[in-house]
Amino acid sequence: MGYPIWDLAIGGSLLMALVAIPHVIVSHFAIGGGLLIAVTETLAVKRGDRELRGLAKRSSLVLILVSTVFGVISGVGIWVVAGLVSPGAISTLIHTYVWGWAIEWVFFVVEIVAALIYYATWNTISKRAHLLVGWIYFVGAYLSLVIINGIITFMLTPGRWLETGAFWDGFFNPTYWPSLVLRTGICLMMATAFMVFPAMRTAAAHRDRLVRYLGWWMVAGALVSYAGYRWWEAVLPDSVQGLFRGAAPALATLAATRHFALWALTAALVVAAVILLARPRLARPATAAVLALAAFAFFGGYERLREGARKPFLIHSHTFSNGLQVADIAAVNERGVLATAGWGARAAAADPAVTGREVFRAQCAACHTLDGYQSIRKALPSVADVLAVAADDPPGSGARAFRARCAACHAGVSFDDMRGVLPSANEVRGDPGMIRDLNQGMITATLVKLRGMGAAYAAADRTRMIDTSALPSPYMPPFVGTEPELGALSAHLGSLADDRQPRVAMRGGE
Amino acid sequence: MHADLIPALDAAGLPGPPWLFHVLLVVTFFLHLLFMNLTLGGTLLAAIAHFRAGGRSDDPRGALAGRLMAINGYGISLTITTGVAPLLFIQVLYQQYFYTATILIAGVWLAFLLLLTLGYYSAYLYKFRGAPARGRGGGLWLAASAVMFLLMAMVNVAVHLLHAQPERWADFASGAACVLLDPTYLPRLLHFVLAGIGAAALLATWWAVRRARAGVEVELNAKIAGFAWRWVLWTTVVQVVDGVLLLLLLPRPVLSAFMRGGAATMVPLTLAILLGVGLLVMIARVASPLASPGIVSGTLAAMVLTIAVMSITRHQARALYLEPSTTLYQHVVAPQWFNFALWVVLLVLGLATVGSMVRRVLSSPATGADAA
Repeated sequence: MGYPIWDLAIGGSLLMALVAIPHVIVSHFAIGGGLLIAVTETLAVKRGDRELRGLAKRSSLVLILVSTVFGVISGVGIWVVAGLVSPGAISTLIHTYVWGWAIEWVFFVVEIVAALIYYATWNTISKRAHLLVGWIYFVGAYLSLVIINGIITFMLTPGRWLETGAFWDGFFNPTYWPSLVLRTGICLMMATAFMVFPAMRTAAAHRDRLVRYLGWWMVAGALVSYAGYRWWEAVLPDSVQGLFRGAAPALATLAATRHFALWALTAALVVAAVILLARPRLARPATAAVLALAAFAFFGGYERLREGARKPFLIHSHTFSNGLQVADIAAVNERGVLATAGWGARAAAADPAVTGREVFRAQCAACHTLDGYQSIRKALPSVADVLAVAADDPPGSGARAFRARCAACHAGVSFDDMRGVLPSANEVRGDPGMIRDLNQGMITATLVKLRGMGAAYAAADRTRMIDTSALPSPYMPPFVGTEPELGALSAHLGSLADDRQPRVAMRGGE
Repeated sequence: MHADLIPALDAAGLPGPPWLFHVLLVVTFFLHLLFMNLTLGGTLLAAIAHFRAGGRSDDPRGALAGRLMAINGYGISLTITTGVAPLLFIQVLYQQYFYTATILIAGVWLAFLLLLTLGYYSAYLYKFRGAPARGRGGGLWLAASAVMFLLMAMVNVAVHLLHAQPERWADFASGAACVLLDPTYLPRLLHFVLAGIGAAALLATWWAVRRARAGVEVELNAKIAGFAWRWVLWTTVVQVVDGVLLLLLLPRPVLSAFMRGGAATMVPLTLAILLGVGLLVMIARVASPLASPGIVSGTLAAMVLTIAVMSITRHQARALYLEPSTTLYQHVVAPQWFNFALWVVLLVLGLATVGSMVRRVLSSPATGADAA
């Protein structure tokens, strides 16, 4: 938490998604494409099939232009963004897994060199030598997945690493193998989705055959993905599953994402089976686009689910999404969050009035922007909100306002209960300051509740994955810091909620 | 020194002794520099040659531009690939300085990705749609690519200077652009740019001489070698002056720490200076590179050696810049020797695979129906 905070209007998590999602799509295509192209060329050589050869060759151009350029750059981009928005967490990951990444780099070098040679040597070297290069490319690419999968899955399910701190205990964690199967299926789907486009450019007499050939790959990829997904879901701890499964999932948006992902996978499977396999003649560029969209939607949905299911952690049960480590809660509570965040402390020392803002930046800005993604201002009650509930004019509008603005934080409280404790609309209009005080009280009470979670985390057995489901906000990090810091944060948030105050800039905390 | 602004060391500790990561950082950065010189210097030289040729590939300078960018299609990939390793190791050794520096100029650091993407695809556009493919034109793409890579060099130098001077972070926080006013900024940037152009020109000369002596397009290759060799000469002349200037502009404590460091710091520094001057002498002696292929090859080898030694000196300079801060703590070391050994084994196997693949490719030429 000692790093300066980068104020980003769209929020760090959204930026990471913007860089990471295209990267994972392209990188999985690069791996699956390696297999499909190598197999396709092998079949082409064995059968003397010129069309299959043409498909492999055309696809290899896409492979090099998309994978070795965009894939490589966006891969570096993930590190760049992670270093900017979550430096503490990426540092912990790198210190734990530097040799894993170094090993992945070796495979990456083999993969890139082979890809460049493969593309450049069509028509210039023997068939056997070219096939060899293609297969070396695939093996290098797949082995890089074998490595990075261990690090990615570690973040969600660190397994015995929490107890031993040992590299391999974290690497071969509970979701390692299911995720590898799932990602293998996704690789096939991504590659097939891309390769349908060059297949459509084949001469009409051979097009159906090639489309059907790719259909088998897509169906296989979808089935392997589904098997891997269900296995992945099954090995997740109940507390994590509870976030997005069951009759009352803790995070409704994640549950919706899960449905979306599985329906997208179903759509990909149906399109592949019905059109690519059964009626390849019906295949059109639009079909390929739908197939690609469905495959991307499933993959994107799964990635969103995986990231969301990790909440409130970056490394489950070890590091929260704001960089705070579970082990440091007691110390930070005693010394204060600004004592460990020198940049914030410096600003606060220069102007004590900004202490609350600096505490917000250190504790909350990793997930919340002021007015953009996960806007903190929108999450806070305003005078207008209270007025809308209290006035209920026209009748029914108050209940809607209550459901939209209050119900999420006041589970178990009905609209009528709320109206019972609120002053009347005229009283609110006459003395808005009273509502500000009320808001301030609610904000402080919420922060006190979040601070209480810190005690629960600090007392938890950190050698096992912590079950957050019983906590009041199972997907939020606790508030840590001293009493004066809590008060300063509450005052800062209160000032944000007051619509009559001049709005601060879009850039978080400024 | 605002020690409170320097984030704490990572509690996870180093997964190996610090010296190991210092060595790996220097070695992998050296590898990265070899390809980076081609990407940055090669693209700049290609742009110069292209415009001097009036955008025509039938001019020897245009042909040189085509050659350089043909290599760069692959060279840029390898620059990024080899850049990943030092990026990894710097995060192990200097994470608290590196991350802070990048956050201080976050927007610019993020723009680095955009510049790289634009520079890379522009290079491909020139290769596939510009002079190499069509015989003329494409200068805009080439210029765009060169500008992008030059801007990336500027960003990298800024990050380097920022991360090495935590005592100035408090000033930078109020406007990180003032890193451009650091007296060493421009000489440092120029040092990289000149080295890049010189190295790319030298490689182009070496290749042209080799081809000419093999009897391939003798006249064309002789002209390319002559043009490129002049760039080797003049960039090296300016480089030696710039290098001395950079040395003199280093902060006094850093310069004296170099002197106090004894053989460990003075041997690489002296060697680097001697190699620089030696390169200049070797280059100046040759009027026609075609007539002195031995000296051209020797110069190429000496330049690679100079880059290796300069990589060490640059790393030592960083360590000396950071000394007031790094002496305040000691790394906790939790070595993972098995994993390191596994990495070494896989690295050897990986490089052997690449080597045997390249040999196999070179020994399997085929045409017509026999070809892939």
